Amino acid sequence: MIAPDRRVREIFIELTDTLVVDFDIIEFLDRLAGRCAEVLDVTACGILLVDHNGRLNLVAASTEQARLLELSQLQNSEGPCLDAFHTGRPVLRADLTDGEGRWPRFSAAAVEAGFTAVHALPMRLRSETLGAVNLFSATAGPLAPDTVELGQALADAATIGIVHQRALARQEIVAEQLQSALNSRIVIEQAKGFLTHRLGVSVEDAFAALRDYARSRNRKLTEVAADVIEGRVDLSAD
Amino acid sequence: MFWTGVVEQARDARVWAAVRAAAAQEHAAISVRHAVLAAERLLSGTGAGLSMSRDSGPREPVLATGPPLIEELEELQFTLGQGPCGESVIAGGPILVPDLAEPEATGRWPVFAPAVVERGVRGMFTFPVALGAAMVGVLSVYRAVPGPLTGGEINDGLALADIVLGLALDSRGGVAPDLDALLDIAIVSRRAEVHQAAGALAAQLGVSVADALARLRAHAYLSGRRVSDVAADIMAGLLRLTFDGEDPRPPEGKEEG
Repeated sequence: MIAPDRRVREIFIELTDTLVVDFDIIEFLDRLAGRCAEVLDVTACGILLVDHNGRLNLVAASTEQARLLELSQLQNSEGPCLDAFHTGRPVLRADLTDGEGRWPRFSAAAVEAGFTAVHALPMRLRSETLGAVNLFSATAGPLAPDTVELGQALADAATIGIVHQRALARQEIVAEQLQSALNSRIVIEQAKGFLTHRLGVSVEDAFAALRDYARSRNRKLTEVAADVIEGRVDLSAD
Repeated sequence: MFWTGVVEQARDARVWAAVRAAAAQEHAAISVRHAVLAAERLLSGTGAGLSMSRDSGPREPVLATGPPLIEELEELQFTLGQGPCGESVIAGGPILVPDLAEPEATGRWPVFAPAVVERGVRGMFTFPVALGAAMVGVLSVYRAVPGPLTGGEINDGLALADIVLGLALDSRGGVAPDLDALLDIAIVSRRAEVHQAAGALAAQLGVSVADALARLRAHAYLSGRRVSDVAADIMAGLLRLTFDGEDPRPPEGKEEG
């Protein structure tokens, strides 16, 4: 069931609030991915951005990333995000097992990971597409038209987050922000790896430790990640 | 659909042809200098500059192409502590300034921007030579004529910064890479496990992430494996690298070589 209007309103207010202050783009996108999964009633949501090599990169996700990572990588050869990215249109697949045979490798991997329906919504800015929002459902079934519309509004919010609210941003600014967001994700991955060794924990637990530390001190995730790597913050002391 | 791959390969080929042509002109093996020359040419610059941090020290200008004023402008940013290069480091992304004579630029860099314009340079475009926290330098292109870069030129600049990064890391790692190894840097940049392994290795060896990445690449190159495969083994606990070589006792069930 799709979320009630009141909840949707709350979420847009929350996202707008995040945007007005000096915000961390990865944290914003992670939160947005989580809210997408919640209000669009899907099992998982991933946000993919294109880099300068024309490759799609998973930069945020609603759940543990491991499952979504492989599915994102695969979409550099085939899959709904690649199609949404190239056409600039939503790509909706209500049932991967219906024998249609589109994206054979991606579909097999998605089904194996427990997903039956997969959709992708483009992140568009004027004539450009910056990436796509990827929705995964454990159960088969189409997205209702108003759910697609709401999903697209959330995908647009993600785009606006990347261009830092400047809907009329010049092309230079878009390129600057997009690269900066991709780089932030890399810093966070490096910090996660650093912490797996330092704390002797899994990648997921390392991320949780990083996020908890940033949240409890009201600091940006990317900054804390950089501090961890540079040895300015020691999470094992906590 | 293979459109993305085709465009990507065409860009790689063109960017690499420019780097190789610059090296051939000097009858020299490909070095960082040739990537900087290629940046000047492909982005229609008056000149280009590169600042880098050696052995994780502070960043300093290391080379400039074109007229002497380019070297002056590279130096000036350090003297003033002002300019697009430093901002590129903080932002972790390119800083693209189509016209330094515009009020926005003057407001941002009150001393540097007019000094650039005075020397007959109008556009300045900087690309971080970095992979996350592994920040090793900044590549800059200077243009006499104001105006934005095209989308293709921006991507060429980013691709050249990747090449400089690959060359710099491999020279730290003490290996002379071939073309495939250098191209690997662009490919690894979307692999989460490579970044995680670089972080884990930095913690384990007590070195910077840049040095850890150099170590990772050197190992991959010397063992003839892909960086992403080596990274996956490190994260799975199947391979343990020491600073000078491999752990003499590789874990059971895994033969390195």
